[in-house]
Amino acid sequence: MAVEYAVQMKGITKVYPNGVAASRGVDFEVRKGEIHALMGENGAGKSTLMKMLFGMEQPTSGEIWVNGEKVVLSSPTVAISKGVGMVHQHFMLVPSLTVAENMVLGMVPTKSGMFIDKKKAVELTREYSEKFNLYVDPDARVVDIPVGMKQKVEILKALVRGAKILILDEPTAVLTTQETTELFKELINLKNQGYTIIFISHKLNEIMQITDRMTILRGGKSMGVHNTADVDPETISRLMVGRDVVLKVEKEPAKPTDVVLRVRDLEYTNEWGKKMLDNFSMDLRKGEILGIAGVEGNGQKELVDMLFNFNVPDYGTITVNGENILGIPQRRIREKGVSLVPEDRMIYGIAGTASIEENMISDRAGARELNNGPLFNMKAIHNLSEELIRDYKVLCKSGAQQVKMLSGGNIQKVVVAREFSNNPKLIIADQPTRGIDVGATEFIRKKLVELSRSGIAVLLVSADLNEVMELSDSLIVMYGGKIAAYFEDTKDLNDEIMGEYMLGLKQQTAEEIGRVCHE
Amino acid sequence: MNKKRSMMFSLVRGLMAILIALGVAALLIFISAEATNIGDRFVQTFGALRQLLISPILRNNGSVNVKNVTDVLAAMIPILFTGLATCVMFSANQFNMGAEGGIMLGAFVTALVAIYVPIPGGLLPIVAILIGAAAVGVMMLIPSILKVKMGVSEMVCSLMMNYVVMYFIKYTLNTQLADKSRGQIMTFPFQENAAIPQLIDNGSKLSWGFVVGIVFVILTALFMYRTRWGYAIRMIGINQDFAKYSGMKVGGIIILAQVLGGVLAGMGGGIEMLGRYSTYAWSSLPGYGWTGITVAILAGNNPAFVPLAAFFMAYLNKGCNLMSTYSGVPAQLIDIIQAVIFLFFAAEQFLSGYRQKLVVKSAQEELQRQAEQAAAEGSVK
Repeated sequence: MAVEYAVQMKGITKVYPNGVAASRGVDFEVRKGEIHALMGENGAGKSTLMKMLFGMEQPTSGEIWVNGEKVVLSSPTVAISKGVGMVHQHFMLVPSLTVAENMVLGMVPTKSGMFIDKKKAVELTREYSEKFNLYVDPDARVVDIPVGMKQKVEILKALVRGAKILILDEPTAVLTTQETTELFKELINLKNQGYTIIFISHKLNEIMQITDRMTILRGGKSMGVHNTADVDPETISRLMVGRDVVLKVEKEPAKPTDVVLRVRDLEYTNEWGKKMLDNFSMDLRKGEILGIAGVEGNGQKELVDMLFNFNVPDYGTITVNGENILGIPQRRIREKGVSLVPEDRMIYGIAGTASIEENMISDRAGARELNNGPLFNMKAIHNLSEELIRDYKVLCKSGAQQVKMLSGGNIQKVVVAREFSNNPKLIIADQPTRGIDVGATEFIRKKLVELSRSGIAVLLVSADLNEVMELSDSLIVMYGGKIAAYFEDTKDLNDEIMGEYMLGLKQQTAEEIGRVCHE
Repeated sequence: MNKKRSMMFSLVRGLMAILIALGVAALLIFISAEATNIGDRFVQTFGALRQLLISPILRNNGSVNVKNVTDVLAAMIPILFTGLATCVMFSANQFNMGAEGGIMLGAFVTALVAIYVPIPGGLLPIVAILIGAAAVGVMMLIPSILKVKMGVSEMVCSLMMNYVVMYFIKYTLNTQLADKSRGQIMTFPFQENAAIPQLIDNGSKLSWGFVVGIVFVILTALFMYRTRWGYAIRMIGINQDFAKYSGMKVGGIIILAQVLGGVLAGMGGGIEMLGRYSTYAWSSLPGYGWTGITVAILAGNNPAFVPLAAFFMAYLNKGCNLMSTYSGVPAQLIDIIQAVIFLFFAAEQFLSGYRQKLVVKSAQEELQRQAEQAAAEGSVK
C-alpha cells in the first residue's frame, strides 16, 4: 500500500525581509495519522516552516501539498479550509470571553441572524469536548482557567474549524509534568481517531515518548527523517547541533557564605484582587544558586518585578547586603551590584534597532572608562563590545550589526554578556534560556555556575524543571504566591516530587520552609 | 543586507519619491496652465518645471546665478536649526511640535534684548541669541514636565503652545512694544551692533548664521552619537522599557531632549532675526518649525543629514517662488509637492518589494559564499 501523506513540503526556501534565510530548500513530509516531531535548535527554522504551512508566511520558493493536493496557503483562513490547524506557543485567546465564546470566534452561531446564540456555542463546545475527550468548562472565562485547559481550548478551536492536521508549537513548554502526561494521552487519542499531529519541541524525552517519526532541522536545512524507535537521544542531539551536547552541567558543591539578598514578608495583591505573593520570605547567599521553580503564574514574575522595582509590594522588605532596594530607581539598584536577565528579552533586554555595541553598554554608558570628558571614548566602547562578543561567543558579522537581526540565542547572549560583565554581586536570571538553542543554553548555564562559584549570588527563576534542578544548589518551589517547598539540596529531587509541590498537592511545614531564611 | 546595498536602496527610494512628486507637480501645472491648446500647455508646463528645477542655480544662458544660490543658502539657516531641534526631540520618541512656536519666541526674545539691553560691540548678538535660546528651552519645560509627571501628550501640548506663544507675542507687540511712528506693526529698530555680519553682502541675507548653523549640525551630531546623553536619548527613543531597565534616568532624559530641542529652535529664531532683519515684525507663526519637521523626517532624525534635507527644502521653495513669479503657477503648489514627497518618504512600505528583492539577492550571495567556503574547507581536508 502506498503511503498517504497529509503534508508534503518540497524544496521550501524562505528569506525574510531582514535578510535572514530561515529555510533553505527544506523537504518535509508527514504521513496521515502519525504524530510527527519537528525538532531543531532555535533559529533552525521550525517556526518559519510551520508558519508557512499555516499560511502566516509565504515561501520564497517551493511547493506545499496538503492531502495530495497542491495548495497555495495565502492566509491562515485558507490553511484552515484545507484542514490545517495550529496551536501557538502563546495562546491566541480572548481572556475576557468565556471558553465557549472563544470557541466560536469568527464563526458565531446566531439567533435570527443578529444575536449571538450562546446556548448553541456552549452545546457545540460540550459536543466537541466529549467527542475528543478534552475536558473544558464552556462557561468559564478564559482568564480564570489554568494553562492546561487553555491549551485544550486551543486544540478544540482548531478541531471545531475542521482541522485534520494539527500543528502544536512547543505545547508542553507551559505545562506541569502531570498536565503533560494528560496532554499526551489526549494526543494519542486524537491520533487513533485518524488525526495527524505535528509536534514541535525541544524536549528530547517527550519526543521519544510520543512521536512516530521526526524531522530534524538545522540551520534552515532538513537533517533527515527518522523513525523515533530507531534513534536514541544522543543521536538526535548530535543531529540537532552537529556535536554532542553535554546536557549535564558539571559543578562543584557550593560553599555559600554571607546573605546577599534578603526578602522578608512580601505581600502583594494584584489589580484583579488575586493574592500573588503571600508572606514570602527568603535569603540568598553569596556563592550559591538558589532556584525558584513553579508553574508560571504562582508569584515568580511578581517577585522578580519587585526585586527590580517594576512593581511595589503592599508590604515587606527587600535588602541587598543590608541596604534597601525596594522602590528605588533601577539605576540605584544596579549601583548596588544587582543584574537582571529579564524574562522577556525583546521588551526589556534590548533596543532592537540599535547596534550590538550600543546594547552592550546600556547599563554603563556613563562609566568613566568609556568616556573622555563629555565625549564617548569610542575606542574603549568598541574594545569592550568586541571583548564581550568574543567571550560570550555572540555569532554576528560585527558589533555594528543591529541586534534584532540576530537569532534568539544570540540576542540572549548579548543580554547575558552585559548583565554578567558589570561586576555584579547578585544576578537575577529570569528564564535565562527560554526559547533559545541548545548551544546557547549550555553556554549560559555554564556561565551561571562559573559566576556563582566565583562568589556571586545567583537567583535562578525558571519554568524549565530540568534547568532549575540541574543548576540550583538549593531550590524553592512556589505555589499560590507562597513557598510550597524548600530543598537545601537538589541531589535527590525528581520530577514527581517537584510536580506534587508545584501543583499544590503537597506543602512543607512552616519549619521546613523557614530554613530558607539564614538568620 | 550589506551597507552599500542599503545605501543604494535609500538613494533610489528618495529619488523615486522626488520623481513621483515632480510628476504630480507637472500634471497639476499642466491642468492649471492658462494656454488653451495642448501644445502651448506643454510649453508652459515645461517652462514652469524649468523654473522650479533649474533656475535656483542657473540662468537661462547657463551661467551660475549667484544671487539665487545665496538666497537658497540663506533660506536654509532657520530650517537647519528647527530641523536639528526636531531631530533631537523625535529621537527620544517625543513628538514635540514646538519648534514652530520655539523659533518665534526665540526670535522675539532675541529681538527684545537687541533693542533694549545695552551691551557693547560684538557681544550683543551673541548674548541676545543665547538669551532667546534659553527662553525657548524654559518654554519646553512645560510640555516635557507635563509629559513625564502627568502623562500629558507632548504633541497636543506643544501644538497648542505654539498658538499661545504666537498670540502672546502679538499681544505684547501690539499693545506695548510697537513703534507707533511706523506704518506697520513692528518694534523699534535693533541697536546697530546687534546685526550678524553677512557672509556675502548681495542682499540675500546670507549671514555668518549659516556657518553657525553648520557648526551646530556637527555639534548636534556629535552630541547624539558620541555622548552618553545623546545615546540615552536614542535608546529611550528605541525602547523606553529597555532604557529604564538599564538604569537610565528616563524622565530626566525626556525633559533634556525637549529642552535641547527648544534651545536649538530658539537659537535658530534669534539668528534668523539678527541675520536678516533690523526690527521685529513677525505677527504670525513663520512656518520654519513645520518645515523643520519635514527636514527631520527626510534626514531620518540623523543630524548629519539635516543640511542635505534643509538644502533640498530651501531649493524647492526657491524654485516654486521663481516658478510662480515667472510662469504664473501658484506658489501654493510647493505645499502639494512637499506633501507628496513627504508621503512617499514616510510610507514604510514604499518600494518594499524592491527592497525584498535586494535582500533576497544579498542573502543568496551570502549562502553561495558560505557554500563555497565550506566546499573549500572540505577539499583541504
